[in-house]
Amino acid sequence: MKNGQQAIRVTVARKAFPPVADRPEQLVLSGVDLAVEEGSFVVLTGPSGCGKSTLLNIVAGLDKDYSGKLEFGHRDARLSFMFQTPRLLPWRTVEQNIRYVLDDDDADADAKVAAILERVGLSASANAYPERLSLGMQRRAALARAFVVEPDILLMDEPFVSLDDPSADSLRALLIELWNRRPTTVLFVTHDRIEAVMLATRLVRLGGTPAGIVQDSEVKLSPTERLDREKVLAARLRLFENA
Amino acid sequence: MAGLLQSRLFPGPIDVSAKFMTEAASGELGHHVGVTLLRVAAAFFVAMFIGSAIGIALGRAKGADQFFDTWLIFFLNLPALVTIILCYVWFGLTEMAAVLAVTINKIPNVAVTVREGARSLSRDLTEMAEIYRFGTWKTLRHVTLPQLAAFIAAAARGGLALVWKIVLVVELLGRPDGVGRQLYDGFQLFDVSMILAYAIAFILVVQFIELAVLQPIEARVNRWRR
Repeated sequence: MKNGQQAIRVTVARKAFPPVADRPEQLVLSGVDLAVEEGSFVVLTGPSGCGKSTLLNIVAGLDKDYSGKLEFGHRDARLSFMFQTPRLLPWRTVEQNIRYVLDDDDADADAKVAAILERVGLSASANAYPERLSLGMQRRAALARAFVVEPDILLMDEPFVSLDDPSADSLRALLIELWNRRPTTVLFVTHDRIEAVMLATRLVRLGGTPAGIVQDSEVKLSPTERLDREKVLAARLRLFENA
Repeated sequence: MAGLLQSRLFPGPIDVSAKFMTEAASGELGHHVGVTLLRVAAAFFVAMFIGSAIGIALGRAKGADQFFDTWLIFFLNLPALVTIILCYVWFGLTEMAAVLAVTINKIPNVAVTVREGARSLSRDLTEMAEIYRFGTWKTLRHVTLPQLAAFIAAAARGGLALVWKIVLVVELLGRPDGVGRQLYDGFQLFDVSMILAYAIAFILVVQFIELAVLQPIEARVNRWRR
C-alpha cells in the first residue's frame, strides 16, 4: 500500500435528477470535488436525502448521468460495494453468492471462500439460502462478498442500518477487523454520527441544497480509542460542533 | 339401426379400451404417438427458446417494446389455421413446414409472458452484478434467468397444452402420420372408439410429462423460497 497516492478523484460540477410528472428538475449536487487518499477510511455524512448515496453511486459508476469527472489511482481499480440492503441472490446459497464474485478461472476460489466464511462466522450457514438467515447474517455474507474480491476500493452505503445495536456493533467490529487485516480505500456513507467517528480516518460532511462539501476533517483516534465510548462521544462533539 | 348407431357413435369404455389394446399391440399407437411427440418437442423447445429471447429483449428495451408491440398483437391474434395453411402453401407439405407453423403460433405467447417477467427484473441485483463484474453469461445464468423462472414455467405449461393441440391440426392437414392423422381417419370412418382411444392415449402422455418432468423442475427452481 502506497500512502499519499490518490485512489479516487471525483468532481461533480452538477448532478440533477430529471423532472418526474409534476415535480420539476431537482438539483442534488453542485461543485463537489473529492480526492480520496489510498488506504484512507473516508466517511461521507450529512442529512438524509442530501445526496450522499448519489455521490457514492457516481463513484461506483452506476450513475453516469452527471457533469463532472471520475478517476481512479489504479488503471483497472477493482471495486466492491456494500449496499443498504444485502442484495444477495436469494436463489443461490451463501457460499455460491460469494463464489460468483470471483473469477471463474480463480484456482484458489475454494480456499478464499472458505476462509472468508470462517472469518465472518458463516461457515455453518454456507449452504443456506439467504432468505432463511437473519438480516444480520445476510449482512455478514454481503460483507464477506465485498472483501473476498480483495478490492482496491470498498464503497459502503449505510450498510448497518435497521439492525439492533448489538448486531450493528458486532458487524462494525468485524469490518474494522477485516479492514485491519487487509487495508483498502473505503468510502463509507452514513448519517449516524457515532458510527462516523468510530470508523473514519477522515470525515467529509455534505450539506446545503444543492449539496456541496461543508466540512472535511481528519479523525485522529487510535484503534483503542475508537472502541472507547467516552472518547468517541467527545470526538463527535468536537467534530460536529458547527453542524 | 338405432342400436348400431348408438354403439358406433357412443362407444362404451369397454369398446374404447379394446380398440386401445389392439392399436397398442399392433404398434400403430406407439408409432403415431411417438411421431406426434417428436413434433411437439421440436416445436416446443424452439418456441420456448426464441420466445424467451424475444420476451427478455422486449422487457429490457422500451423502444423495441413499443415498436414490436403491434406485431406481437398481430401474431397473437393470427388464427393458427392461417399460419398452418400459409406454411404448407409456401414451404410444401414437409416436416419442416409443419413444425414451423406450430412454432410461429406459440412464440408470441411465450414472448408476452416472459416480457412481463423481464419488465419486473430487480435493478438492485443488476447493479450488484455490474459492480462485481459478473459479465453477460454469469448475469444471465445467476441473476436474470432465476427471476424469470416462474414466468418461463408458466409459459411452458400453457405452451405444452397449446402446442400439442396445434400439432394435431397440422398433422390432420398435411402429414401422413401422427395422432392428428389417425383422428382424421377415425373421423372419415366414423370410428369414434379410435378417436377416443388416440385422444386418451395422448392426454395420458401429456399428463405424465407434466407430473414427471415439469412439476419436478418447478419444485427444483423454487427450492430457495421460504
